Amino acid sequence: MRFVLCRPMISIAVAAVAAVAAAFLPASARAQDLVVGLGGNVTSIDPHFHNLSPNNGVAAHVFDRLVHQDAQQRLVPGLATEWTVLDDTTWEFKLRQNVRFHDGTPFDAEDVVASLKRVAWVPNSPSSFLISTRAIAETIVVDSHTIRFRTARPAPLLPVDMSSVNIVSKRHVESPTGDFNQGRAAVGTGPFRFVDFAPGERVVLARNDNYWGPKPHWARVTLRIIANPSARTAALLAGDVQLIDQVQTADLPRLRGNQQIAIARVTSNRLIFLALDQNRDQSPFITDKQGALLPNNPLKNRRVRQALSRAINRAGIVQRVFDGEAIPAGGLLPEGFFGVSDKLKPDAFDPEAARRLLAEAGYPNGFAMTIHGPNDRYPDDEKVLQAIGPMFARVGIDTRVVTQPWATYASVSSAPTYAYSIMLFGWGAATGEVSSPLRSLLATPNRDLGTGASNRGRYSNPQVDELLARAMATVADPARARLLAEASEAAMADQGLIPLYYQINLWGMRKGLSYEPRADETTLAQFVRPAN
Amino acid sequence: MADLDTPFRRFVADFREDKVAVGAAVLFVAIFAAAMACAYISPQNPYDLRQLDIMDGKMPPGKASMDGLVFWLGSDGQGRDMVSAILYGLRTSFLVAVTSGFIAAAVGTAVGLAAAYYGGWVDTLLMRTVDIKLSFPAILIALVLLAVFGQGTGKIVVALVVIQWAYYARTVRASALVERRKEYVEAAQCLALPQRRILFRHILPNCLPPLIVVGTIQIANSIALEATLSFLGVGLPITEPSLGLLIANGFEYILSGVYWISFFPGVALLVTIVSINLVGDRLRDVLNPRLQK
Repeated sequence: MRFVLCRPMISIAVAAVAAVAAAFLPASARAQDLVVGLGGNVTSIDPHFHNLSPNNGVAAHVFDRLVHQDAQQRLVPGLATEWTVLDDTTWEFKLRQNVRFHDGTPFDAEDVVASLKRVAWVPNSPSSFLISTRAIAETIVVDSHTIRFRTARPAPLLPVDMSSVNIVSKRHVESPTGDFNQGRAAVGTGPFRFVDFAPGERVVLARNDNYWGPKPHWARVTLRIIANPSARTAALLAGDVQLIDQVQTADLPRLRGNQQIAIARVTSNRLIFLALDQNRDQSPFITDKQGALLPNNPLKNRRVRQALSRAINRAGIVQRVFDGEAIPAGGLLPEGFFGVSDKLKPDAFDPEAARRLLAEAGYPNGFAMTIHGPNDRYPDDEKVLQAIGPMFARVGIDTRVVTQPWATYASVSSAPTYAYSIMLFGWGAATGEVSSPLRSLLATPNRDLGTGASNRGRYSNPQVDELLARAMATVADPARARLLAEASEAAMADQGLIPLYYQINLWGMRKGLSYEPRADETTLAQFVRPAN
Repeated sequence: MADLDTPFRRFVADFREDKVAVGAAVLFVAIFAAAMACAYISPQNPYDLRQLDIMDGKMPPGKASMDGLVFWLGSDGQGRDMVSAILYGLRTSFLVAVTSGFIAAAVGTAVGLAAAYYGGWVDTLLMRTVDIKLSFPAILIALVLLAVFGQGTGKIVVALVVIQWAYYARTVRASALVERRKEYVEAAQCLALPQRRILFRHILPNCLPPLIVVGTIQIANSIALEATLSFLGVGLPITEPSLGLLIANGFEYILSGVYWISFFPGVALLVTIVSINLVGDRLRDVLNPRLQK
């Protein structure tokens, strides 16, 4: 019997071998390509659909904003070259000339108008960008490259707000989110063109050679989504990816010991904290030690809140869970950000004081409670909760710890269910100022004002609200900073929430690359460069 | 010989011929006893949060905690003594596996006997149900059930019962079919004994040997499955880690040289399962009349 290989079969075999070989070739062999491993899952390419850090990070490759933020979240010109206050309620933005969208059409003021309209229009948004456009009462197009915004009240933060609204082409103002995900509508002015999006897997981008700003070094960028932190580290060590974000602190010693790997770190704008249900008279997870609901919610008592804060060994968490790569928190943002009070220091770890405060509050024998948190959202979130459980137990509060995947946890812990009593959350100040956490986490929830949108404990303090309202109507920076600092001092004196720690953002990369670490956690391929 | 004629003695004598199996049986009994006595012999109660301190976390084997407790196998990320955590974890594993094993055996035996004795459409209905059940991977069934019902020891037991009953049903049916056609059953039927008596007093005892073998293997399987589910994070609560959860917790530290959080529970799991399987293999040899000399 003869064994015959026909020609097509041979060529298929050769092609297959070549394809496999190409797939296994080290990525660095192709000098113009960059593969990045991202920890956060990208849910959409539509820049107005879901206000979520991973989505905003991808959008920042394809789209531009009127105003950009640098690595320290200072405002720098984007599609607007300058912006000025004409009077207390009018801002004027001068737009950049000779900017073209990826499809070749020129950019002008009508695109800005269309994008603002789309923010309000986009259907089914799980977390809308309306908070950034809410201040605008009227948009006036002066000429093709000048635009004015009228506001109902003085809006000192309008340029900051504009740094989170991506500008899409006016031809796609009514394109649904699906058109963006498939690429038809993903046409921006940004440094990269959209190539491909496989949800939960990767986003592929190609350099925009007509970009108005500095040209990116990379002809082709693949953002691979690798949610598991150990897998991300392994991919970096193996050379499958050249850069990873959200490096797990447990892997740091190993990465630091590797000659082929460099680490970049910077203090984050993200506070991790415990939100406390202070609204209901009976909170669903606060019981006596036999498991019966307590008639009065102890979290409404300031002394109990302070006792909980003093029971927490922040230094221990930072040292043992994060190997020192976090900062114990006493306020809402770390030092150096706008409006931070220098009077707010982390509460000292003092179990004795905590027990005394509990006794003074009428709980000498403690009570029982369950604390909830996510297990896949923030670095080591589950371990932090597991560490806090014993700390509360030691001051006499029987504590159970329950962690859940973020998707479930985030939805049931919010309006309208408010299913939990004590919740671990994080808040990244997208604007880089204390007004961001104050407005979202501590201001009394009010739909019309857009305040307290993430105030899951429904904390409400008229003094904080009043100081914040005054700050938000103050255009002069020093006066606003002072008012914001006072508002956060008032909220912390009342222990409206329990700050735990500020994250430190960590990136790991192959030697030969450099990345300026960003306080806002985003990984932007246009700023990844060969080191020299 | 006169002293060898009770079935149990014959069984013990047969079993003892294989020294490896005897060693495995002794090891298993020792592990089982230690796990059941964990509340008395372990240096710490790893489920009592008040005894944990984050500052004792990730201590290497042999180091002492701040309170002077020596962590002979190290401590996990939350400051749990690994010796205690392993013993408590083993206890949970055994409780879950044995409870679910007994319930599944009871359900499966009833189904298998009914199918074999009544035959006809009862047999067809029950055995096709078993076939459908066996066509789903065990881990898939468990994940779906736990996703629907939530976490907890009781729910794991339910999931394991749902997974295992079909194996028992099939085994019991096979041997009951053979027994049912034997003369002693016909004799019993001629004596007009009640069905219940024929099923449980005559047929069932003769189906026991294969049932025991399947039971042993299934207990090892359900320990492994419980560990797998906990490893995947859908098993037991995180503050009461079982072996699978300990392995999962330590997994991410392995690259950084903190090997003991995963390694020792893994060894404990391995030794337990291997010893049960060795005993099970020997039981199969001893109880199978076809392999008898």
